[in-house]
Amino acid sequence: MTRRGLSAAALLAPATLLVVATLVAPLVLLFRYSLNRFVPGEFMVEAVTAANYIKFFTDPYYLAVLGTTLWVSLLVTVICLVAGFPAALFLARTRTRFKSLLILAVVLPLFVGNAVRAAGWMVAFGQKGVINAILGGLGLITTPIEIMYTTTAVIIGIVAVNLPFVVLTLQSVLEGIDPAPEEAALSLGARPFATWWLVTLPQAVPGVLAAGVLCFILAMNAYATPVLLGGPSFQMMAPVVANEILQQSNWPFGGALSFVLMAVTLTLTAAANLIVARRYRV
Amino acid sequence: MVRGRNAGERAGRAVYNLAVAGGFVFMVLPILLVLWLSLFSNEILTFPPDGYSLRWYQGLLGQQQFIAGFLTSLQVAVLATVLGLLVSVPASLALTRLEFRGRQAILQLLLAPLVVPAIVIGTSLYVLFVEIEIATDLPAVGSVVGLSLAHVLITIPWCVRLVTANLIGVNPAIEEAAASLGARPATVVFKVTLPLIWPGIVAAGLFGFVTSFGNLEISLFLIAPGQTTLPIAILQYLAWKIDPTIAAVSAMQILVIAAGLLITDRFVSLSRVV
Repeated sequence: MTRRGLSAAALLAPATLLVVATLVAPLVLLFRYSLNRFVPGEFMVEAVTAANYIKFFTDPYYLAVLGTTLWVSLLVTVICLVAGFPAALFLARTRTRFKSLLILAVVLPLFVGNAVRAAGWMVAFGQKGVINAILGGLGLITTPIEIMYTTTAVIIGIVAVNLPFVVLTLQSVLEGIDPAPEEAALSLGARPFATWWLVTLPQAVPGVLAAGVLCFILAMNAYATPVLLGGPSFQMMAPVVANEILQQSNWPFGGALSFVLMAVTLTLTAAANLIVARRYRV
Repeated sequence: MVRGRNAGERAGRAVYNLAVAGGFVFMVLPILLVLWLSLFSNEILTFPPDGYSLRWYQGLLGQQQFIAGFLTSLQVAVLATVLGLLVSVPASLALTRLEFRGRQAILQLLLAPLVVPAIVIGTSLYVLFVEIEIATDLPAVGSVVGLSLAHVLITIPWCVRLVTANLIGVNPAIEEAAASLGARPATVVFKVTLPLIWPGIVAAGLFGFVTSFGNLEISLFLIAPGQTTLPIAILQYLAWKIDPTIAAVSAMQILVIAAGLLITDRFVSLSRVV
């Protein structure tokens, strides 16, 4: 080995070993356990069986949970990209002195944690919450409308959680795009929307992809928001996994659920990367 | 900006402005609602409130659960951030400054904790920790060290991403100049490279700290009965009820993080680091 190779190894070893020990090794162990058999009362019995995976793919309940998780995540991703793009474009192009303050308005929600933001939505959505108080005060409704513990509440909650990630990712890509072609298009008479559609957006495709993938992964993963805003009858994958491991102590099936969740998430994000790469040659 | 030439374009511009404002309001709204609720004088949620009061903030000192959770979270986040930076900065240097085989693979590995669902990381670490406990009789689940090691894992991708991004932005000619004038590699790193990328290191520390401090999905698996972190204490209280007390707890967290961000902003402009 050359001296260069040696020093690279020395610099990389601590971080790499840490990730191997706390990510790769536990995943390997969990995968092995997902092939074991669970016997109630006896905990876990050594075996090599696909029974836990077969149980998942033949039980309509778990398939429905995966289905809900998937369509909620896809919808959230689309909403976040559409809702986040204008704000990101504005942040990337603005020259105001208040830019730091606007960045703070994006970063602060990102940093205060999902549970705190879910608390904010609980204030808005409750039977006696802000929305019902306003609608009632305006005389638009006589009985409070149900928003808490509905799918709508969960979707609004996850969109709000993911939007700052999407805005920041898009903004950093948009800032790297030279505004000169846009200005050229505008000065040659293109309408603003046509300019955005034909000049800005095609250049921003890698950013849209990165932001979309991040948003999708986070939504597939959502824990606090569905637990707090969805209530006991609304189920997504992450709370179901946690319940299986912590309450039921069913490691084999909990492990299988984990790997299904991970495989679905990674396959879809890889597919998105491939499709976009082929279409736009990025 | 180009002025609208006709009604259609003016309408388009109005829609754009509305979308920008709507996006920002939507992100900030839940925080404003929590801050508002924390000042209500009535304990049971009604709108408009009967009046305003600061008494919920006075009551916070008696909330053992939240204070214990805050202290654990702070301890773990500080440990995880320091360790995360200590392993990530050298790795980032190797990834950007040295040529070696498997560079891309190592980078992907170090960024992987961001891609693997947090709940899966939590599950697998829990299983590993329980096995370690059975094998060695050492308490792994519920130990601050175990929790901190788990949190180092989730700070690594943020640290590596932000520090490598900064390193790529540094002109290598400056480092080469120092080296050709006789500085040893270590001197170049400490006297030239690190001072140049310190905004990136500050940002990495900030992101690492906040990621760890706010983590719920991994901590959930790794705390022992009777032990808690601030996000878990907040989640468990909210699953039961929402009232001005929990709003005041949340408000304290919001204020601490806002203060941290504003202080960071004084050293490195936030618009440059994120």
